[in-house]
Amino acid sequence: MKLALLSESPADEAALSVLVGYVLGAPFTRVQPTLRARGWPSVEQVLPAILRHLHFNTEADGLIVVVDSDSSVVHTPQHEAPAYHHPGCRICRLRTVFRRTLKNLPLNTAHPTPANTAHPQVRRERVLRAVGLAVPAMEAWYLCGRDTSITEAAWTQGQAAGRVPYSRSELKWRVYGTERPTLPHEIKRAVQEVTRHQGDVRRLEHDFPQGFGSLARDLRSWRAESSC
Amino acid sequence: MISAVHFKNFKALRSTAVRLEPFNLLIGPSGSGKTSLIEALLRLRYLAGQATAPGPTSALAFLNGPQIEFHFHPPFQNVRVTLGCQADELSCHRLRVDHPPGLAGAGQWAELRTQLQGIRAYLLDHQAMGAPGLRSAGTELAANASNLAAVLAQRAQQAPVAFAHLVTDFCRIMPEFSGFDFRGVGEGHVELRAALRDSPERLSCENLSQGTLYLLAILTLAHDPQPPTLVCLEEADRGVHPRLLREVRDALYRLSYPVATETPRPVVQVVATTHAPYLLDLFRDHPSEIVLAHKQGNAASFERLTDRPDVLELMRETNLGDLWYSGILGGIPGD
Repeated sequence: MKLALLSESPADEAALSVLVGYVLGAPFTRVQPTLRARGWPSVEQVLPAILRHLHFNTEADGLIVVVDSDSSVVHTPQHEAPAYHHPGCRICRLRTVFRRTLKNLPLNTAHPTPANTAHPQVRRERVLRAVGLAVPAMEAWYLCGRDTSITEAAWTQGQAAGRVPYSRSELKWRVYGTERPTLPHEIKRAVQEVTRHQGDVRRLEHDFPQGFGSLARDLRSWRAESSC
Repeated sequence: MISAVHFKNFKALRSTAVRLEPFNLLIGPSGSGKTSLIEALLRLRYLAGQATAPGPTSALAFLNGPQIEFHFHPPFQNVRVTLGCQADELSCHRLRVDHPPGLAGAGQWAELRTQLQGIRAYLLDHQAMGAPGLRSAGTELAANASNLAAVLAQRAQQAPVAFAHLVTDFCRIMPEFSGFDFRGVGEGHVELRAALRDSPERLSCENLSQGTLYLLAILTLAHDPQPPTLVCLEEADRGVHPRLLREVRDALYRLSYPVATETPRPVVQVVATTHAPYLLDLFRDHPSEIVLAHKQGNAASFERLTDRPDVLELMRETNLGDLWYSGILGGIPGD
């Protein structure tokens, strides 16, 4: 499989690459060059152009997008209802961008790549979608299983009570030992923490059922699609 | 070291103050006082370093003239230094020191005075950096980094561990390179050459890109085993690809937050300026490190970003760079 990842930092990208491999259970290759966004809302703004680029110019089978929730609304099972869209939920918003953009792109079968262009031959009709939401930031995922107080439920309960249980800075401190990690240290720690799961992402899905769970369910649906 | 600077009628800084943290990123349009702050710091170093100890300059001598007042962090919190002049003079060329009486106070000032001599300001010049330098001029990086080759040659000899860390960092960020070597050229001059990875080819400094040279100079500062006490860096983003600005920030953080990188040395205060929204985006978790320089007509003023009560709310909606560009934070050119 050829995949593209869109995340907010090289450390997120490195960790995500490991986690995606665990969920898919199969090796994959990355589309080059690597994609990067400047955080929300630039992810939402740049996503249509990225989808268009992947659709026409690459062999990417799917695009994986993971963003931090920060203080936004966390995705819930209610948001999964048909035609439901929560304007404050980043998963709902990203899925809407995927849907609107992809439906306006011609199927590749109807537009075969000219043989005399540099564009690679494209096999799939549309780029597949996988969207995840790190609640409130990727560092929460990194601490999964190591710090039982850090879960999606703890965060959403805190949000509802008007007092969140931890801040982004605290999460950074717990993962990196500093609020100002260097990039190599950040990448090293991120990869160390996610490889701790040794291929088994059940704990992540249990503690982060919407943010990570949505991502995992999207990825598993790809397997089903590719086996059809 | 310096906790705050208060300005009165110094250039466009008519009546304003800025609180200084270990790391400070100044943003604002041209003419908004960013460089004036750096100039004030350099002037402080110069006047504090004069051979004659500052005498009891009369307060009257400052009457109605421009004034710059410096406050300091502990242990120098009881020392206050004021630069000033009379109304008909052009620049703040007199210095007044207020410190506690007695030997203890005088000792504090003597120690602070030594630290003030470590203030440095840099405006990097890639053309100057590209030329071979006098080997003997490598004690510390010049204001335009024109002696980069000499500094690195000396560091490779005298501080090989620090030099090795610098090279490792550089080659990680610029993976097309595998290291450096030095070649003697002319009389007592040294040339810095970068080795290309997987190639016997060496590139002399004059053939390196601007951005590569700027990044190398910043890393040279960041890995300096005996750095200045305060570093001012103008246009910190210059020539650097937006994706590599994180590396610039990290290098400067290495100076201001040595504990974060387990670097055993005192904090180096950093005052950097930028016009790059992408660099600003990287301070989302530390907005207190941003200083907005506002310009209203001919007057300029400073405001620390977190002094705005609504900034955290605003940051929920979009990233800092876009907030700044939109104009709602201020720190933009006049319409």
